[in-house]
Amino acid sequence: MSAAPWVCRSCVRSLRRIGFAQQFVRRASTDSVKLPPALLERARFLTAEHDQLSAQLATNFDEKIAKRAGEVHRIADAFKKFENAKASLQELEGLLKSDDAEMRELAQDDLAATHDQLAESSRNLSVALTPKHPFADMPCLIEVVPGPGGTEGRFFADTVFKMYQAYCTNKGFRTKVVQYLAADSTGEKGGDGETALQEAVLEVMEEGAYAHFRGEAGMHRVQRVPATEKSGRTHTSAVAVWVLPSFAENATASDGDWDNPESDFYIDPAEVKSEKMRASGAGGQHVNKTESAIRLTHIPTGITVSMQDSRSQHTNRADAWRLLRSRIAQKRREAREEAARALRSSVLSSAQLTRGDKIRTYNYGQDRCTDHRAGLDVHNLPDVLRGGDTLGKVINAVHGWLTEKDIQALLADEEAAAAAANAPPKGRKGK
Amino acid sequence: MPRLPPSLFWRARKQISPFAPLLLPVCRTLDSTANELRWIKQHVNSTKSLVPRRLRIWQACLKRGDRGMPLQYVLGTQPFGPLEILCRPGVLIPRPETESLIYHLHSILPRHSSQPLKILDLCTGTGCIPLLLSSLLPASTKISGVDISPQAISLSRENLTHNITLSHLPASASKSINFTKADIFSPGFVPSLGYKPGELDILVSNPPYISSHGFNTTTERSVRLFEPKLALVPQVTAEQYDCEPEDVFYARLLEIISVLQPKRVLFEVGDLDQAARVAAMVVRGKGALEVYAQAVEIWRDEPGVDSHEEGVTEKMGVDEEAEVEIKGQGNGRGVYFWRRDDQESE
Repeated sequence: MSAAPWVCRSCVRSLRRIGFAQQFVRRASTDSVKLPPALLERARFLTAEHDQLSAQLATNFDEKIAKRAGEVHRIADAFKKFENAKASLQELEGLLKSDDAEMRELAQDDLAATHDQLAESSRNLSVALTPKHPFADMPCLIEVVPGPGGTEGRFFADTVFKMYQAYCTNKGFRTKVVQYLAADSTGEKGGDGETALQEAVLEVMEEGAYAHFRGEAGMHRVQRVPATEKSGRTHTSAVAVWVLPSFAENATASDGDWDNPESDFYIDPAEVKSEKMRASGAGGQHVNKTESAIRLTHIPTGITVSMQDSRSQHTNRADAWRLLRSRIAQKRREAREEAARALRSSVLSSAQLTRGDKIRTYNYGQDRCTDHRAGLDVHNLPDVLRGGDTLGKVINAVHGWLTEKDIQALLADEEAAAAAANAPPKGRKGK
Repeated sequence: MPRLPPSLFWRARKQISPFAPLLLPVCRTLDSTANELRWIKQHVNSTKSLVPRRLRIWQACLKRGDRGMPLQYVLGTQPFGPLEILCRPGVLIPRPETESLIYHLHSILPRHSSQPLKILDLCTGTGCIPLLLSSLLPASTKISGVDISPQAISLSRENLTHNITLSHLPASASKSINFTKADIFSPGFVPSLGYKPGELDILVSNPPYISSHGFNTTTERSVRLFEPKLALVPQVTAEQYDCEPEDVFYARLLEIISVLQPKRVLFEVGDLDQAARVAAMVVRGKGALEVYAQAVEIWRDEPGVDSHEEGVTEKMGVDEEAEVEIKGQGNGRGVYFWRRDDQESE
């Protein structure tokens, strides 16, 4: 008889479905050949296209076709190598089951080498296929803002901020606190020495940090019993995290980008209203004010940035400009993605991330952190909040999810483009 | 000043920190209290001492709030552009208005000058103007600062080495900048500088410009009590000059200018009325000053920011027939004039 007095029927069924024992069997191929199906689909499609194009080129040369063939050549090459490796692996696996002992031994010897080959070719393939985000190589700014509501959200915002700070320290990323606005009230203190945060900006100065943290943007939800709660009820509050592209401190290559009107980061100085928040009065030698706050307003978009962290107006202005550029670049990028999304089929648009979506839940009571997009549940919440390996696991899972989504979006884009190209012009007129 | 409601003190205590009510009487708003307290904490955290941290914060808050000492004297520094200027009682604290005047002056200078510029700053105080100009201009620029106060001169020299150690300035700045103690009213002052007439490119000055009436009425308490009156109100009698007592430095500066014939001159002034008076002095100038009479501008606090629609320039009559252009936003803050003959030759 079972030790448990009662077992949920659906649990039993789900156990049976997974095949409880199978869960612990390590399959050698799983970790190396883990390409998303969408990626493989696209690779197959492109390879077919490449073959077709080369056949066309063999008969008559056309510059356009040659250019396209050149573009997809690398992918087709990588895919063919990958297919070859997979085929030989299958062959070896077939040999392993053969009755001949000598044959089995030989296959066993070859197996490891073939696995390595497969892993390498799959890596190459995914690199060749994955669309690269234009900001991917940049450092980033992580902005933490508490959601609407009471102080509980502010306390948790502080925890989230510290979580990213600790994560960067653990990973060895260089960081700088650009802004940290807190009201360290004595009347109310959150658990673990949390302070009520109003807004904080952390700059991660490593190149490629944007690609690493891109998936963190969105609403982070917390479910816990606040330290200030007397009757022990669980509260739910939210914290918004925005990840903005930034510039490397002494980057010479990207410096020119600011002045390039084509760049996402370009801002016409005439469109920005700069205000010093300084009391009126005689000024000059008559007064001795310490206010150094700077507020920048980008008039066309209405985006405002105010900075008052430093005593130096000079530093505040430089920081404010940096944040404004990053926000505007992000906004422009989002607008373009939105436009691209409108072209795609409606199936995909639901999977896309928008600003207001909750992406992650931190549940203190169940010691659980759930990422809603990657569908990943991890336990050991304290380690997540310390920015430990568990958080790294979540971030990596989101990364995988984002890559897959990017590829799907790319596929959908191409389909839409193909459809638009094939559609008879009559259809458009009818609209 | 209106009285602060007691509820504000409670809110400062509850929302910011138990130290905050100490600072509230001088900061007057919760926002600026929170900022100043944060800066005090940062300062205390970044300096080492045997005295416990909270005690030092409390002491600093008492100095700042209870006695009203300027924060710059409490912390010992004031940012000025990219520089960090040391501040000490006895020497005037650099003002942000001076900073924006100097930035604007730099922005209108011709980009490529073949010869290194020669710059003179009279009444230099902490030395902030020479140091900022040196950080903005090529390293070959020769800059001199002059002040009457021995405290100011020793502090300005300290500031020079301080900013070189912080690597805000190149090491060569110690050679290209020099500070000398001198009284600009003494008869032998101009020859002692050793400039040939017309050799000097820029003359800058932020002299004491507050009238004794203004000192008692419009000047802030912490300025009156803690900053040197020598740097705020002219301590020289105006008998030999035909002008208001608070303008006496400008009258003397114009005498110096008529001998040195610098290419460009920038004065900081107290308000628009004073700016008009000083501009009138330049416009009416006789003899060697006539070359400047046609090229005078009044700058406001933010001379680089346009306050009007394009094409419209703000003008002000300073004399019976002369009108002077006013640039920027804010209070009248500076008078700028240049040698006309020189501009045409450029």
